[in-house]
Amino acid sequence: MTVASLLVPDLDVTQRESVLGRTNPLVKLGISLAWLVGLGLTLDVRPPLILAVVAIVAGLQFGEIAPATMARRLGPLLLAAMTVALTNLLFSTHNADPAAQEVLRIGPLRITEEALVAAAGLAARVAAIVSVGTVFVLTTDATRLMDALVQQARVSPRFAYGLLAAYQAVPRLADDLAALRGARRLRGLRELHPSLLVGLLIRAIRHADQLSIAMDARGFGPGPRTTYRPIAWSRLDLVVGLSALALLIATLVVSR
Amino acid sequence: MERVGDDVAFGLENLAWTRQAMRERVPEALAGVGLRGFEDRRSTRLSGGEQQRVAIAGVLAPGPGLLVLDEPTAHLDPAGAQAVFRILRAIRERAAATIVLVEHRARLAWPLASLVLALDDEGRPIDVGAPKDVLARSARKLEAAGIWLPDEGTTPPAQPPPVAAIDPLSTRVLGSEPVLTVSELRFGFIPGAPVLRSLDLTLEPGERVGVVGRNGSGKTTLLRLALGLLTPTAGTVRLAGRDPRQLHGVQLARLAGFVPQEPELGFLGESVRQEIELGLAPEQVSYAYALAERLRLPLGEFGDRSPYRLSGGEQRRLSLVTGLSRRPLLLALDEPTFGQDRRGHEALVQALAELVGEGSAMLAATHDERFVHDATDRRVELDDGWVLADEPVEAESAS
Repeated sequence: MTVASLLVPDLDVTQRESVLGRTNPLVKLGISLAWLVGLGLTLDVRPPLILAVVAIVAGLQFGEIAPATMARRLGPLLLAAMTVALTNLLFSTHNADPAAQEVLRIGPLRITEEALVAAAGLAARVAAIVSVGTVFVLTTDATRLMDALVQQARVSPRFAYGLLAAYQAVPRLADDLAALRGARRLRGLRELHPSLLVGLLIRAIRHADQLSIAMDARGFGPGPRTTYRPIAWSRLDLVVGLSALALLIATLVVSR
Repeated sequence: MERVGDDVAFGLENLAWTRQAMRERVPEALAGVGLRGFEDRRSTRLSGGEQQRVAIAGVLAPGPGLLVLDEPTAHLDPAGAQAVFRILRAIRERAAATIVLVEHRARLAWPLASLVLALDDEGRPIDVGAPKDVLARSARKLEAAGIWLPDEGTTPPAQPPPVAAIDPLSTRVLGSEPVLTVSELRFGFIPGAPVLRSLDLTLEPGERVGVVGRNGSGKTTLLRLALGLLTPTAGTVRLAGRDPRQLHGVQLARLAGFVPQEPELGFLGESVRQEIELGLAPEQVSYAYALAERLRLPLGEFGDRSPYRLSGGEQRRLSLVTGLSRRPLLLALDEPTFGQDRRGHEALVQALAELVGEGSAMLAATHDERFVHDATDRRVELDDGWVLADEPVEAESAS
């Protein structure tokens, strides 16, 4: 049993060798956090929208993510953002406030300008978060992220490997689900059944077991450890990091 | 971590080797298992057997003093298995490590051993000693316990020829319609990397086909396509004249039985009894129990055990029971004999011969030449997604 076969798959070479793919994962993590904190400084709807668009364009242009892949990954998340906004629009307390400016009335449903502004702000913010997050995931090799965390951020290898294993829990669950459904189909059972959950749980536990055995058998422990894949800062990291910060500041200033 | 080199280096990292030493050792270790230049390949794109060799390279890389191997060649093609044993022999000749090897492939393992320990079903020692002495002293006892002996080669154990008569109690009649028709089948998981290139294959009722080929040649993929678990890129698959992907689950289960390479991937029940009974019609249960008994999984002893707590060989027999218990028209078996001693092998060969005698057809992907010899009458060799050979298996000369 190889350890690699139990851990998260790497990015395809196109994304890995793209500008964003070569950028240090910690820099990208820093940019994401800075942007999110920065967006907290304003209630304006424009900065998060601008940054969401920038993130998506950068992902397509500098991350070489295929537009179809981007749409497939981002679509459901943006839809969720819209749903959140719509719920907030319909059930906002502003709508009950008689002093608020009414923009629309359908039967008993009253929608006010204040509610509209708040909902739009929320939608834009969620859109920014999911866009930045999606681009991060689609351009960041999990192995490199782990290497950077261990070698540059001095995170303990034990934690980093745990993170790497957790990172792939969802895609693996999808594979397990497909295998389980196939097995049920071949036994003439209904493919969807509550017992699938038990099966998934058993497989998740088996998988964690196998991973820990495979890692223990190869001497993974608390002792001193070297690393096969050196990771270093580069000029690219500086350029990408500074550009992203400048962009954030410019966006905030313009929207003032 | 997905790159092969990363995996081989993992153990070295844990032992705090310098990067320079790792850079030298990793390619060396890979070359040692016949995977020269594989450092940057992705392990998820490798076949099961190639992954096994990567795992062995990773274990060998730090040059351990003690090597414990549990059927390291179970999923390897003959060339791969021989490569692994060559490595083990080299380690032994250099006295570089003590090797503890658990293995059913007696022909490869015995010449390597300086000490043989034979265990019976209960884990009690039958005999221990130098291979020659054990063979001289206890050959009969080992044989009685169903243990493979080194000189058995591909000579089939004594067994009656398959009964080709139709079981009068069976409701199924040998039809003239093919069980499986595959035409111009192409398949690839990702564009530009075909697994099967253009495959034609027809299985008539009563045919027993062994699909052989190197690791990664497309055997497992062919089985999964035949069962409708994968969608062809091009070409058609017809199971009893129907597209298996369009069949209702109940019909599919009646037409096809699947024994996956990894038994655990097919397990659905929480106990052996539940696993066997799941989805069976009442009239099928007694055959399933009898089959379990014949494959040495008597319900009295194993019924309440968890399928996940069985040994590898027991898990394989359990998935054989679940795959064969409906007496399906198509028996799709992926490495049906791994982890089996001689008794397991014989019981399986016999059960398969009976099912095929009733009009089933068998499609078995295997590296086990002995199984091909004993249990099939047609041998299809795949290579890199092409059919390299499709020929009858030579009947046993007078023996």
